[in-house]
Amino acid sequence: MTAATVEGTGAPGWRTCPVTARRIDARAERLIRVNAVAAVVALLIGAVAALLLALTRWQVVHLLPAEWYYRILGVHGMNMLIFFIIFFEMAVLWFAGTVLLNARPAAPRYAWFNFGMMLIGALMVEAMQWSGKADVLYTSYPPLKAHPLFYLGIILFAVGALSVVGQFFATLTIARRERTYTGSMPLVVYGAMTAAIIAVITLLHGAMVYIPTFLWSVGLIDSVNPQMYRLLWWALGHSAQQINVAAMVAIWYMLGALTVGAVVLNEKVSRWAFVLYILFISMASAHHLLVDPGFGPAWKIVNTSYFMYMAVLASMIHGFTVPAGIELGMRLRGFTKGLFGWLRKAPWGDPGFSSLVLSVVVFGFFGGITGVTIGTEQINIIAHNTLRIPGHFHATVVSGTAVAFMGATYYLLPLIFRRKVSFWGLAKIQPYMFAGGLLLLEFGMTFAGSFGVPRRHWDISFTQAAHDVPFSPVVDLFMAMVGIGGIIAATGAFAFILIAVTSVFFGERVTEFPRGKAIAGIPQGLTNPPVHAANADAVNAELHAPARGWAGPTPGTLVLVAVFFLAFMLYYFTNWKLLSFLWKIG
Amino acid sequence: MDPSTSPPDASDEPVPIGQRLFDNMYLLLVLGVVVMLVVFTAWGMWEIMSLPQATLP
Repeated sequence: MTAATVEGTGAPGWRTCPVTARRIDARAERLIRVNAVAAVVALLIGAVAALLLALTRWQVVHLLPAEWYYRILGVHGMNMLIFFIIFFEMAVLWFAGTVLLNARPAAPRYAWFNFGMMLIGALMVEAMQWSGKADVLYTSYPPLKAHPLFYLGIILFAVGALSVVGQFFATLTIARRERTYTGSMPLVVYGAMTAAIIAVITLLHGAMVYIPTFLWSVGLIDSVNPQMYRLLWWALGHSAQQINVAAMVAIWYMLGALTVGAVVLNEKVSRWAFVLYILFISMASAHHLLVDPGFGPAWKIVNTSYFMYMAVLASMIHGFTVPAGIELGMRLRGFTKGLFGWLRKAPWGDPGFSSLVLSVVVFGFFGGITGVTIGTEQINIIAHNTLRIPGHFHATVVSGTAVAFMGATYYLLPLIFRRKVSFWGLAKIQPYMFAGGLLLLEFGMTFAGSFGVPRRHWDISFTQAAHDVPFSPVVDLFMAMVGIGGIIAATGAFAFILIAVTSVFFGERVTEFPRGKAIAGIPQGLTNPPVHAANADAVNAELHAPARGWAGPTPGTLVLVAVFFLAFMLYYFTNWKLLSFLWKIG
Repeated sequence: MDPSTSPPDASDEPVPIGQRLFDNMYLLLVLGVVVMLVVFTAWGMWEIMSLPQATLP
């Protein structure tokens, strides 16, 4: 057994990772750490808010008064969709740009200035929201007006993030010039680059919408056109979640390689899919404007159908190549038995692997299918502003992105923070707890929304109202699912935060990664890195033999893809049927 | 191939035009921004600005 020390023999300011043999710049490592810690703090605030919201929408409990419900809804949106996700993405950019390329960071001191700007901006927004001076929800639609410091805080945060994205591009340029890698950049870095480009698109629109709104809030301009605001704001608000998608897919590829030795089936196809994201995914923002009267059908259909389906195609490519890469990698390691032997033998107790699978499956089956369906112009009319919308985006942003980020964290803790994962037994079940609770919540929201229950609504029983809006009694069951699912998911989030914080600040220091030995607190992909079997070439030739016919080298994944398409067709056509009940012809 | 490592460098062979385009991040950045600004933003703004004035009752 060999034991490699963590403190490697790199040049001053560098260390060599004993697992990946990559040189890690100490300045970049500190930036990764501090952004990851800020992300976890935002996650904590957002998770507390989530629990309060779930216990309010569950009508039996109905915890918060109306004013605090809307205030906390805004806090939840900003912390989860902006601060948690973007701080973590900054960590991903520094990791991908430096660690994966053996490169030095561009202008690391300036990066601290940018981090400080993001932090101050986030604190300003928090202060305004918690003090009740920005009860304008996440979208802050005019004529709702918040305190100027709320808008200024968002602008500072966005400028800081945009500057870090610029530093990421500079780091990639330095890496290429200094030839720290040869050929094309690695696929994981390519995914991070895709996220960075989408971030530029997003943040440019953020500037276009928030600068005039800030000027309006201080009285320098008289009004903000609400329709123009909605157009530009959603190019920020929805595209911000497309940064997540690209970063999440990059992490899928990374976790697949680290946990089970997944391979990339076809570099060209995977890169094509990322380029399709760059070109077409941001315009999915138009989904939010499908019932707005200010836009014609041509604009709506081109943006949400013809062009946006190119991005859907890209997601389906990744949704196939990632599990297929896992299957092929496992088969090349010798797990060749039957259709799903590779899946049965997978390391389900490794939180990095379980997070990866849960993220891929729930993002694809739930988030993807519901997203494409409710993004269809005609069907959108029966889903718009109902709980189906948060049911969809919790499946993409939380079950997809947040779960993938959590899975990556279980590997970053030993690799970057050089600490063992604390509460290892809890860490093994945490992804299941978090994803299971979310699934219950998402089903509850989606079904309740199908019965017309509105989103962003404090009291659907309309207590003390002069009129009555009766819902089907089954809605009570679905709202209970939202409440119970929310409690379980929040518990899973708190478990993750407990594990992450304890590991970082009080965790046992990792001094070595003994090979071939299971160690509590270190994921199996680091102590037992997946390697191909000695006869991998023969297995590969056999798997690719023409005699295998349509099944090819990854028959198990093909079956899963068939199940996906069946579910997709069933849900899509069921919704057209539902629409026909309301929209009778003839 | 491990997705966290670079594809093999075939330095003795000419790099295909498609690969060179895909490797050009600044070109992709410009394309991404322009497509969004034209198809979504500019067209959407034009739709709003060309709306006829509502006649109040």
